[in-house]
Amino acid sequence: MDDKYREANRPATYAAANRDIIRPLLTPTVMWVAAFVLATAAMVYGGYCWYLQITWGMGVAGIKHPTFWGVYIVTFVFWVGIGHAGTLISAILYLVRSRWRTGVYRASEAMTIFAVMTALLFPALHLGRVWQMYWFFPYPNQRELWMNFKSPLMWDVFAISTYFTISSVFFYVGLVPDMAIVRDHSTGLVKRIYNILALGWRGTNKQWHSYMAAYGFFAAFAAPLVLSVHSVVSWDFAMSNTAGWHSTLFPPYFVAGAIFSGCAMVITLLMPMSYLFKWHDYVNTWHYESLAKMCLLTSGILTYSYFMEYFIAWYSQNPYEQYIFYWRTVGEQWWIFATMVVCNCIIPLVWYKKAWRQNHVILFVVSIFVNIGMWFERLNIVASSTSRSFDPSTWDLYWPTVVEWGILLGSAGWFSFWFLLFAKTLPGVAITEIKEMVEPPVKGSLEG
Amino acid sequence: MAGLNRRDFLKALGIGSGASVMSACRMDDNRYYTPIEQVLPYVVKPEQVTPGTPTFFATTLGTGPNAHTVLARHRDGRVVNVGANTRSPMASIVPTDALFELQRHFSPDRYAKPVSKDGAELEWDAARGQLVEGLKAARAGGKKIAWLGPYASGSLANLLKDVTADNALHWEPLGYEADALAAEKVFGRRVLPAYDLSKAKYIVSFGADFLSGWGGWELSNQYASAKNPNDGGFVARFALVSPYQDQSGVNADDWYGCKPGTAAQVALAIAKLVAAKKGYTGPATRLVAAGDPASAAAASGLDAGDIDAIAAQIAARDSVVLPGGAAGASTAATELAMATFLINVVSGMAGKTFGLGRAYEGAIASYGDVKSLVDAMNNGEVGAVLLGDTNPAYALPADSGFAEALGKVPFVASFNSQPDETTALANLVLPVADVFEDWGDEELHSGLRLLRQPAQSPLYDALSLGDVLLAAARDAGLQPVAPVAAATAGTEGTEGSDGAAIQVDGLAWNVEGAEGTEGTEGDAPAALGPVGFTPATYRDYVKATWQHSSGKGASFDLWFQERLADGFVATETSIGGAQVSPGAPVIAGAAAIEGAGEYFLHAYPHPFRKDGRFANQPWAQETPDPMTGQVWDSWVCVHPDTAKRLGIARNDLLELTTAAGSIKVGVDFYQGTRKDTFAIAFGQGHIANGRYANNVGANVVSLLSAKVDGFGAIAWQQAKVAFKKVGTADLVTTVGSDTDHHRQMAPVTDHEALAKVGDSESHHPGELTGIHHLGLDPRLAERGAVDFYDIPDHPTYRWGMSVDINACTGCGACAVACYAENNLPVVGKAKVRDGREMGWIRVNRYWGYTDGSGPVETRFLPMMCQQCAHAPCESVCPVLATYHTIDGLNAMIYNRCVGTRYCANNCPYIVRRFNYHSYVWPEPFNLQLNPDVMARTMGVMEKCTFCVQRLRNTKSAYRDQGVEVVPEEALTHVTACAEACPTDAITFGNLIDAESGVTKLAKSGRAYQVFAELNTFSAVHYLAKATFHPQDSHHGADSGEHHEPEAHGDEHGDAAHAPEAEGAHHEEPAHDAAH
Repeated sequence: MDDKYREANRPATYAAANRDIIRPLLTPTVMWVAAFVLATAAMVYGGYCWYLQITWGMGVAGIKHPTFWGVYIVTFVFWVGIGHAGTLISAILYLVRSRWRTGVYRASEAMTIFAVMTALLFPALHLGRVWQMYWFFPYPNQRELWMNFKSPLMWDVFAISTYFTISSVFFYVGLVPDMAIVRDHSTGLVKRIYNILALGWRGTNKQWHSYMAAYGFFAAFAAPLVLSVHSVVSWDFAMSNTAGWHSTLFPPYFVAGAIFSGCAMVITLLMPMSYLFKWHDYVNTWHYESLAKMCLLTSGILTYSYFMEYFIAWYSQNPYEQYIFYWRTVGEQWWIFATMVVCNCIIPLVWYKKAWRQNHVILFVVSIFVNIGMWFERLNIVASSTSRSFDPSTWDLYWPTVVEWGILLGSAGWFSFWFLLFAKTLPGVAITEIKEMVEPPVKGSLEG
Repeated sequence: MAGLNRRDFLKALGIGSGASVMSACRMDDNRYYTPIEQVLPYVVKPEQVTPGTPTFFATTLGTGPNAHTVLARHRDGRVVNVGANTRSPMASIVPTDALFELQRHFSPDRYAKPVSKDGAELEWDAARGQLVEGLKAARAGGKKIAWLGPYASGSLANLLKDVTADNALHWEPLGYEADALAAEKVFGRRVLPAYDLSKAKYIVSFGADFLSGWGGWELSNQYASAKNPNDGGFVARFALVSPYQDQSGVNADDWYGCKPGTAAQVALAIAKLVAAKKGYTGPATRLVAAGDPASAAAASGLDAGDIDAIAAQIAARDSVVLPGGAAGASTAATELAMATFLINVVSGMAGKTFGLGRAYEGAIASYGDVKSLVDAMNNGEVGAVLLGDTNPAYALPADSGFAEALGKVPFVASFNSQPDETTALANLVLPVADVFEDWGDEELHSGLRLLRQPAQSPLYDALSLGDVLLAAARDAGLQPVAPVAAATAGTEGTEGSDGAAIQVDGLAWNVEGAEGTEGTEGDAPAALGPVGFTPATYRDYVKATWQHSSGKGASFDLWFQERLADGFVATETSIGGAQVSPGAPVIAGAAAIEGAGEYFLHAYPHPFRKDGRFANQPWAQETPDPMTGQVWDSWVCVHPDTAKRLGIARNDLLELTTAAGSIKVGVDFYQGTRKDTFAIAFGQGHIANGRYANNVGANVVSLLSAKVDGFGAIAWQQAKVAFKKVGTADLVTTVGSDTDHHRQMAPVTDHEALAKVGDSESHHPGELTGIHHLGLDPRLAERGAVDFYDIPDHPTYRWGMSVDINACTGCGACAVACYAENNLPVVGKAKVRDGREMGWIRVNRYWGYTDGSGPVETRFLPMMCQQCAHAPCESVCPVLATYHTIDGLNAMIYNRCVGTRYCANNCPYIVRRFNYHSYVWPEPFNLQLNPDVMARTMGVMEKCTFCVQRLRNTKSAYRDQGVEVVPEEALTHVTACAEACPTDAITFGNLIDAESGVTKLAKSGRAYQVFAELNTFSAVHYLAKATFHPQDSHHGADSGEHHEPEAHGDEHGDAAHAPEAEGAHHEEPAHDAAH
């Protein structure tokens, strides 16, 4: 079946691939400019909210005794999760030679990097004294101050900075041959810039040999990070003793959730991109369907995890744990839980019907629901456990304030800002890899 | 150096040295600018002031019988805190009142200067001139000069008596007038009776709020000792007969909720039954014969069997019966007090747990006296009214006519340091020195006399009330006379040996310290002046009074110095016998309740704000109400069943109406209210009292009219009330849940089992509660390890605490003392709603579980940092801002904290507080900040560290003496909370020391650790409460699958947050679950 799609959608020639993929670059349309302005405005508003928070203190946010973490941690986990699909697609699917990755991996890798960049804002955004943030880093100082390597937050710092570094390098390595193609198809200043970015790529056999070795190496390097990073993030919760967080289930559960949300986000981002840039030959139903299948798998894992959380709570006979899960389901904020279950477990089920998972409208709408559902999943975890923690006399309810919503919006603006820039400056589909699926041009052809 | 030629070497040398020189130059410029502060030492250092070192002054806070002796902690020219006076025979405690006085002292609303009616500030000379003119005019017109102030005794009472020619009224709205009148009727003497709860095995209260200051804070301490299972092997039982369980009543083991106004009948019936059971045949027989158990039961709604049971308990063992206080002040207020006295007499307890001394003989005025004053003012008989620190314009019902009558007086002067509704009516406000700045003496119920000395020089331009009165009286031609011989002008000669005296406005202010007793007074015999001498200053007046009463001659000065250092004068304080006077009237006890309808209005004194005097103190507003957790507001307590029946939800705004007026208040559910009663606390709804009190809540007095009972005592419980829902209120409570959801946070133990073993060490701490630490994994046990990780090593100290929740009455003194000691900011109502209150100790209040046969008991659980050995907070801090000290504290390095708040999330006790903002202390509140404790800024986590600053000071002091390990006795009350606790529920100490009290208590059979199953190895051991009632058989913590118990508390508590409970949560999702 895959072959059928590939046959059906294979671009005709190298020339067509070059032309189609380079066409959108550096030619801002009205719609792009509007989107870019919108994203920048959201980003600036988020920055203003952060300014308010730095000036007046964390009290402008809704966090409170006893719910000391809120939307910032929720959104942090959300964006880190989004950041998982890209590396999964580009590295793991590369290693297992899954061919449908070709069309989507570049954009999803870009999404990964920008999502991690967005996520990296949040440890700063949620700090009470962000101006002392450098204390997180192991730098030599005369006061002999050092960090606590026992703290999961410290592990986070290393896990995410490692992930960001590796995925950026991997992203760039994969871009080099395409940079050369853009360089070869441009003139003037643009050509000179891409010339620098192409790092002197000429496509020699030796270069291709080194390139493939490096690409394979980084793919192998990045692959375990897909599993480790979100495991580490999950340990922020699992390593604490808070009921509802303290569970060995968390690492696989978080990784599955991350891939689930990431793949859905790829659909959300690539489908409009494909339509707007007329990339139907490169990104099409075949890819969406494959992503949808990934989502179905991970949705199943998540549903199982949700169920297992309840089972564990019941089986452990831990009263605190039991109360948390009881309260999440039917407490005042039951609708957070309900949103999570409906969006993550029930709505994706429509994709089991082949026709529906090939229907672009349904694909897009469901992917949006998954994104919402995954944000609510994290809200469900973060806010409920601390709202109903050990001592009932402290119980309280958390709900975000305008500032927190503003920063959430700003983070989306920040992500979109970078992604929109990416769409107009770098080839959104890996041209050289697309060409691997095309009949090589006859020697002597004018194009190539 | 191979390969380096000469030229390169020189180049390198040049670059290197150049670079070092340049960098050296940069080091020189002061990039890190440090402001230059000139710290000037004293040229002549005052004798008792060593910068950075506190000086302690024994003094007396509060006025009247509720006064308490404390040690004022003086530091660099100001009082920064108050501590317990351990020398006094009173309980060495710091009641909430004393702490509120401290904050009142530094109130930003204090008058800085005398103020005339138009609001203009005056100089003292001008103000004194006006005062003298006013007094002269009154005298010239042949009119009375009247004084109306709070209860006073000793020197001040004498002085006022002289100045006003016997027209001084000492009256308080929620005072002891019914008791004094009743004593007059029954025993023939208008004095205040004294009680000794510590000897009682059965305590009955008819409403007196004796655990929040009524009758003196001494009673709280005695109550705890009666409850102490080690004291006689029996835990005293406490019964309340009142329609409402106030902060005292909520501790009752048995609550008999009689109808408002029927308590006197019940008391009289009990007296009759007790007399019969005891076979009493004394002079009170005639009086108790009027009791009628059957009609009392019918009127009060109590079961006749209950009345009989109370009588049986009283007759069976040593008991004490307390009167009604303000809660019992119906139109039978005096009769209730008389009936309770009679019970004490017929039960044979007079002279044991109850008795009469000579306290306040004749000095307690009644509302009847105030009414006479109002009439005299209306008739133009009063030429000048002098008002003390009293607020009748606020506290009296509008139809008392007090404000109008005051308007008819030509000259009204108010002697008050703070503005209030009454000072607003005065022609002249004279801001007098407050209790921290003045001399004086106070008398307690027991007859113990306390001395007051200035603990700091006046904060503002304030003068001593006594000084002003003496000077004005002299100038106006009045001659107040010291009792007998006085120290003459020669006193000046002895000033030097009094210690450093500083001259303030021509008056001598003694700044003598508590340690100053080694003065050379003895060699300077005080000259004896002529009889009738009027001392120049109030200080001399006080001394002269004492010189007279002490009977000391030449040795008086030294003796007095020593008494000042002690803060009290030991007098005969035993409880005198009480002889029923033959002319005592026979009473019936029925009270009249005005108004129609089903619902009674019950007004009760608030445990913090009292009659409203502390309403302007932020601590008194922000410390959560012990029963409801409400802050910064008024609320009406409605029984949850009543609310359900009437369709009222929490936080509904009700308009309550009586014949006298109407107010709007929000609703909170409280099961300690009779089902036909709406209860509201006094003390809120000020309009001219200062920035923190004005327009906060509503004044329940607006619903009341001025009524007296048959003997002249004021009647507060007098009306029925109609209600109408008019909207949604804005109540903020800190109570997250009303039960502990069977999480065994405040377990109970059977009193009989407890009485057998007391707090003796047991092999198995927890055997009385059933709460044990989790069993160890056998593999760990084999290795001798208590946990997977080793417990940190504590070589010398492991600071620990034990909190006896059997003794805890929920009074909040620990929480307030913590605010005072540790510079905790007050955040205000809106921020408390947002969950940003900063209290390091919160007193959790849970309703207990019963099997339905007994009442729902209340369990208070003071919760502070547990200083875990395996602290969940420590391991998660990424920057090591919190760490384990070698003494076992979870220390916080505030300036290392970056504010991830992970520690707080990971703390199962939720005792960490985060600085969501930078808070400010309006001047002069900043002067009260403890210099030993760092002020925190926004973004930083903070928490209790067992007052580490005090621990360090104590350790240093002993180390300086060459003592390596601080002895046990210096530790037991070292923390602010342990020092303050009126019931001595908190014990501090060293858990390494096997002989320390805290170690022994930790091994008691009722000891348990909260959440021990989490392996936190906390340093705080709680001691379970003893219960007289069978508990709900449901054991183990709850969960979704379990049903909530059917006890009242859960109807109350969970109605609003248990999601399955109908209605409530949809209407107000964020109210009680949210703050």
